[in-house]
Amino acid sequence: MNLMIELIRSTFLAAVPILLASLGGTYTYYADIFNIAMEGMLLIGAFAAVLGSYFSGSWLIGLLAGVSGGILAAIIFTLFAVYLKTDEFVTGIALNLFALGATTYLLRQIFSVKGAFTSSDIIALPDWHIPIIDKIPIIGELLSGYPFLLYISFLIAILVEFHIFKTRFGLRLRATGEDDSTVDSVGINSDLIKSKAILLSGALSGLGGVFLSLAYVNMFAENMSNGRGWIALAVIILTRGRPIGLLFMALLFGFFDGLGFALQNTFIPSQFTQMVPYLATLAALYFYSKQKKEKIKEELEDESMAV
Amino acid sequence: MKKNILTGILGIVSALVVGLIILFIQGYPAVESYRQLFNYSILSRFSFFSTLAKAAPLILTGLSAAVGFGSNVVNLGQVGQLLIGAMSVTVVGLFINLPAVIMIPILLLTAVISGALYSGLAAYLRVKFNMDEFITTLMLNFVAQYFTLYLITGPLIDKEMNSPMTQQINSSGWLPMLNSLETTIFISIIISLLIYFIWHNTKMGYEWKVMGSNNTFALFGGVKIDKNYVRVMLISGALAGLAGAMLIMGGLQHRFLKGIGANYGWDGVMTAVVANNSIIGTVIYGLFFAVLQTGSMGMELETAVPSEFVLILQAITVLFVVASRKSAYLLLNKMSIILKIRQLRSGGEPEENELDD
Repeated sequence: MNLMIELIRSTFLAAVPILLASLGGTYTYYADIFNIAMEGMLLIGAFAAVLGSYFSGSWLIGLLAGVSGGILAAIIFTLFAVYLKTDEFVTGIALNLFALGATTYLLRQIFSVKGAFTSSDIIALPDWHIPIIDKIPIIGELLSGYPFLLYISFLIAILVEFHIFKTRFGLRLRATGEDDSTVDSVGINSDLIKSKAILLSGALSGLGGVFLSLAYVNMFAENMSNGRGWIALAVIILTRGRPIGLLFMALLFGFFDGLGFALQNTFIPSQFTQMVPYLATLAALYFYSKQKKEKIKEELEDESMAV
Repeated sequence: MKKNILTGILGIVSALVVGLIILFIQGYPAVESYRQLFNYSILSRFSFFSTLAKAAPLILTGLSAAVGFGSNVVNLGQVGQLLIGAMSVTVVGLFINLPAVIMIPILLLTAVISGALYSGLAAYLRVKFNMDEFITTLMLNFVAQYFTLYLITGPLIDKEMNSPMTQQINSSGWLPMLNSLETTIFISIIISLLIYFIWHNTKMGYEWKVMGSNNTFALFGGVKIDKNYVRVMLISGALAGLAGAMLIMGGLQHRFLKGIGANYGWDGVMTAVVANNSIIGTVIYGLFFAVLQTGSMGMELETAVPSEFVLILQAITVLFVVASRKSAYLLLNKMSIILKIRQLRSGGEPEENELDD
């Protein structure tokens, strides 16, 4: 029973960074921007959060710093990809490597350490104990006492769904993704919409980074995003960018991440358990492709019958 | 070509200037740091040789990415293919001992085949199940990282060492030194020439180029896309695998250490991207990045700038070179249109402009 509770708790915790990064990527997905920079945005967010929290002694400053870090990365992306018309794929690759280089460099430059920085002066995000529910056995253990950002990020998933599908901005965003020259022709600046989409993706990925370094663990380690930005990208492809779908898919990956963690105490070498999330991504893509293939086949058969 | 050289130089110079400003703001002796950077990478025979040794695997991962991207095959799995190549060489080198004349070719072949098999796995998933190679190769990178880490912390660990690594491979598999110059660079040069020949002088290379510029046109033009796709993937993986062999067979360690080849995979991707997938460009930028990386150690020694600074410098270079290439292209296009309009207005026949590319 305790193991089950542990597994479910770690599922929730591990899901959040992937969820936030993929929600961010949803905005650029609908604007038809090939954004592969979430990995770097997560990393910069995580580093800036530790930096802010450590020097100010306040988690709030850490959180704001992390989000600003993500936005800063997004500004670089916007400048090159939208305004200088640099290839989006190239910009993304360069930004990811810039993020890795810059955080590693600053880690040494500011904290004089290589590899990882831990300190009791890094103030973590506070947990939220839900009143009443906290006191119920089991259910309280399952639902209460997580870092408050976890509850907020689930709320953000619902808000993003609303923002993209029910607001004027969302409509313009999707129109830009469909055909930006048409959007321009009716007098809306599509470059501005694209920039906003990238900035939103930077802010949300930055927030994911904050969760990573101030809640999931309380430290910064070199390359600590460790592929989560890429998995977020896979999640977006798998759900075709539906935020509620993202929520479930992120939880699924959180589960595999947690499962890997839980299996660590067994006879299986830890390196194999750490592979689990990446293998799960491959498996998910396999089932997705298979399903898509069958769908196309059915449609073709329907058409030939109609003829 | 001339335009590429011009925008390349423009991009590199502006990136170096930005780097200079960053160093200056942080209170480092900026100019002196740069001087040491080049002092420790090209200005003496020994340092130039270390730069060449660094460039050998980098050029190979760069070619791996360039061949892929240039054919519209997004292989981002250089990291994993390099590791699998290096690990296979290590395993064979540990357990087989033959005279060097046979041993070295066998090890090189092992790397080529194992790298190709690993990228072939992603190619299989794409052709058979239509799974995007750009995600699958990325995920396979992590699988390879953890798998090789398992091998060097478990079954293959050298118990006498403090950190995870294998034992040295049999010395018959070591590539010889030529007056303290690593011979790995010659292998890279030969391979570069070979790839250049395939790319520019064979029908296969032509088909790849067509695939790279327009997949639909290639399809209607009768190019067998799937077959060529698999070929490109296999060659791309083989090149990355061979880069892994350089790390084990060259250098001084001759063993698989934890974190080996950490940067080569992604640096290769950057090299190809900044060179716009040109084979010659990849070799040149590969050398340039090798200069930065080799010099960074000396810079750290002399002016205390953390060597990781060059990672930032590389990323800025990529952004600036690619951005200036694009801007120059747009600017030249605009200018040629303006010229045409003027000629038409003055009643003259518009001349064929030579601003192709």
